[in-house]
Amino acid sequence: VCAQVETSPRRCWQKVLYERQPFPDNYVDQRFLEELRKNVHARQYQYWAVVFESGAVVQQLCSVCVFVVTWWYMDAGVLSPQGLFGAALVSSLLGYVLFDAIDAGVGRRESGRTRWADLKSTLVFIAFTYGFSPVLKTLTESISTDTIYAMSVFMLLGHLIFFDYGANAAIVSSTLSLNMAIFASVCLASRLPRSLHAFVMVTFAMQIFALWPMLQKKLKARTPRCYVAVTVLFALAALAGLASVSSVGAVLFASLLLSISCLCPYCLIRLQQLKDNIHGPWDEAEIKEDLSRFL
Amino acid sequence: MAPRRSAGGSGAEMAAGGRAARGAAAAQSVCMVSDFFYPNMGGVESHIYQLSQCLIERGHKVLVVTHAYGGRRGVRYLSNGLKVYYLPLRVMYNQSTATTLFHSLPLLRCIFLRERVSVVHAHSSFSAMAHDALFHAKTMGLRTVFTDHSLFGFADVSSVLTNKLLTVSLCDTNHIICVSYTSKENTVLRAALDPRIVSVIPNAVDPTDFTPDPSRRDDGTVTIVVVSRLVYRKGIDLLSGIIPELCQKYPELHFLVGGEGPKRIVLEEVRERYQLHDRVRLLGALEHQDVRNVLVQGHIFLNTSLTEAFCMAIVEAASCGLQVVSTKVGGIPEVLPENLIILCEPSVKSLCDGLEKAIAQLRSGTLPSPEAVHNKVKTFYTWRDVAERTEKVYERVAGEKVLPMNERLDRLISHCGPVTGYIFALLAVLNFLFLVFLRWMTPDSIIDVAIDATGPKGAWTKQYFSGKKGRVKEEPPIS
Repeated sequence: VCAQVETSPRRCWQKVLYERQPFPDNYVDQRFLEELRKNVHARQYQYWAVVFESGAVVQQLCSVCVFVVTWWYMDAGVLSPQGLFGAALVSSLLGYVLFDAIDAGVGRRESGRTRWADLKSTLVFIAFTYGFSPVLKTLTESISTDTIYAMSVFMLLGHLIFFDYGANAAIVSSTLSLNMAIFASVCLASRLPRSLHAFVMVTFAMQIFALWPMLQKKLKARTPRCYVAVTVLFALAALAGLASVSSVGAVLFASLLLSISCLCPYCLIRLQQLKDNIHGPWDEAEIKEDLSRFL
Repeated sequence: MAPRRSAGGSGAEMAAGGRAARGAAAAQSVCMVSDFFYPNMGGVESHIYQLSQCLIERGHKVLVVTHAYGGRRGVRYLSNGLKVYYLPLRVMYNQSTATTLFHSLPLLRCIFLRERVSVVHAHSSFSAMAHDALFHAKTMGLRTVFTDHSLFGFADVSSVLTNKLLTVSLCDTNHIICVSYTSKENTVLRAALDPRIVSVIPNAVDPTDFTPDPSRRDDGTVTIVVVSRLVYRKGIDLLSGIIPELCQKYPELHFLVGGEGPKRIVLEEVRERYQLHDRVRLLGALEHQDVRNVLVQGHIFLNTSLTEAFCMAIVEAASCGLQVVSTKVGGIPEVLPENLIILCEPSVKSLCDGLEKAIAQLRSGTLPSPEAVHNKVKTFYTWRDVAERTEKVYERVAGEKVLPMNERLDRLISHCGPVTGYIFALLAVLNFLFLVFLRWMTPDSIIDVAIDATGPKGAWTKQYFSGKKGRVKEEPPIS
């Protein structure tokens, strides 16, 4: 630390204020800024790990896409409500079985939720939605269709913004996100021809926006390989659906998905190298303990 | 401003000529500028006051410029003829004035000329007026010194912006003074400065104000004293964890807390919850002269600050002979030698360990006597020493040249980044044009020179110092 200690009788500089040292006040020692630390909390990302994590965003974009395309077909009369309801019911049952099969029922035992409770809430939900579907159908009659579309777009965008992608940020709110998606579905459902359509649309929204992300999360945690396969298949399905409605839209959507899953991780890693975060003894100390236990 | 008769009718040019004749080591005419001054109370305020008094004692002419505090406006004289200008500027936030970089130029120019200021010494990076004064002083070709009293982080948006402004403000300032080595490192990084133009001159305390008095303690108990503002940055949340933890362990332990602030409610809740009304006393806000009387009632002083450039409180406590236990943050490790302070990590557990160690030492009688501690601490920091070292900075600055306009613009553009640099270079040019306009409106030659109260030829100093050789009486200012 102090090289001149042998060569000269001068004392070694100390970082203390209580002693007058034989140095001028503006003396700069070699130890100046030795406690400087850079990028203490910076994380090193692996490209493919980031790509894998971006799957959550891709999935959610595809969910919104599939929902809108389904609504389009219903609105155009190509897809019958009975057909959609049947398909949704079958896939839901499959998903339900899969949900427990992935972790061999561990999650269910931990949460202590019975199958009877699941069945009950399903029945209550379906009964209420069916009962209120005529109301849903006529609820927004006095509102212009353009307003409805605009509102749906904003709600679905909000759903994407506030969705819990796994980041620990203040903006994340899964309740708000789900509510916005259901609101959008109610808006869109009210423009469908009959009340049965509206009922099927809202149940489908529930499945794709509430149940499907839960299954995805479990898949991602337990079987990452399956998750990647499911994500790719789901994205392809969404793209195919969109292509049948609008080829330009499909191309744009495909480039959006590609940029999110490939380009954005690349940019993140490149920008990470430019990170220049300074830490040192001047930083305000953080209280890391939980002090609420004293109160 | 109060009307003053012209002293001898000499113009500003003559004043400048007189200074040059006295040479670089001669007495300076220093103008301290800060938003923070008496009647406001705090570290910066007392620093400016004490430093000014000691500089006056050393034969310099000193004046203080601050903003009006309520009805306190105009010119006031404090002890030893220290002249204070309370300028009628609007306060924005936290006693800091708003800055437009222009509106204060007419007033400050007038003061700088009337008082024949040679060095403008601005204090505190939170003071907008200090930065304004630096900006105008450079435009007017005066030498500038800046003292930074606080630490600042780098992490959030607000600190990024303030650090940018500090870079602009300090890039062409002649010399910068910091109160600790940690503060110097912080300021050098924040403002991207050459560390050689940054001096470290610590704060001081008046040791005669903080003398020990062991008879005031109750030796049947152990009393831990805390004197600080009760705010988050002072770590009061940690204190709220330490109090119950230690009170349960040591039945004879008492806490004495002086200070006021938003976190008082937390301490009151703790006191309520653990039924410690007889053992934890919250004294509320303390007057500066009462601090010593509170300190001497305790055995151990506890400081829980989360950030601190230079902690005056621990020096005051040590000067009163208390064993100091403190968090190891900012410049605190530099302030007291290891045998006078127990340094802890900023956590409840570490601070409790430190306090238990101090209590054990107190019980076994291995702590040095308060008198011995006081005699040691009183040699560490004195305002005389601070003034002497500050004087060296003034001498150094007096020998430097002030950047001419073109070099100043180059410096701004090359130092402060392409966007900010050009914006502030433009502002500097506009400021200069404004100054030219003001000079045309009221030429320098027709501005009166104010009566010199302090300084080598001061009206006050002669009659006051003639019979006195002792220390300058450092009393609170008259109001």
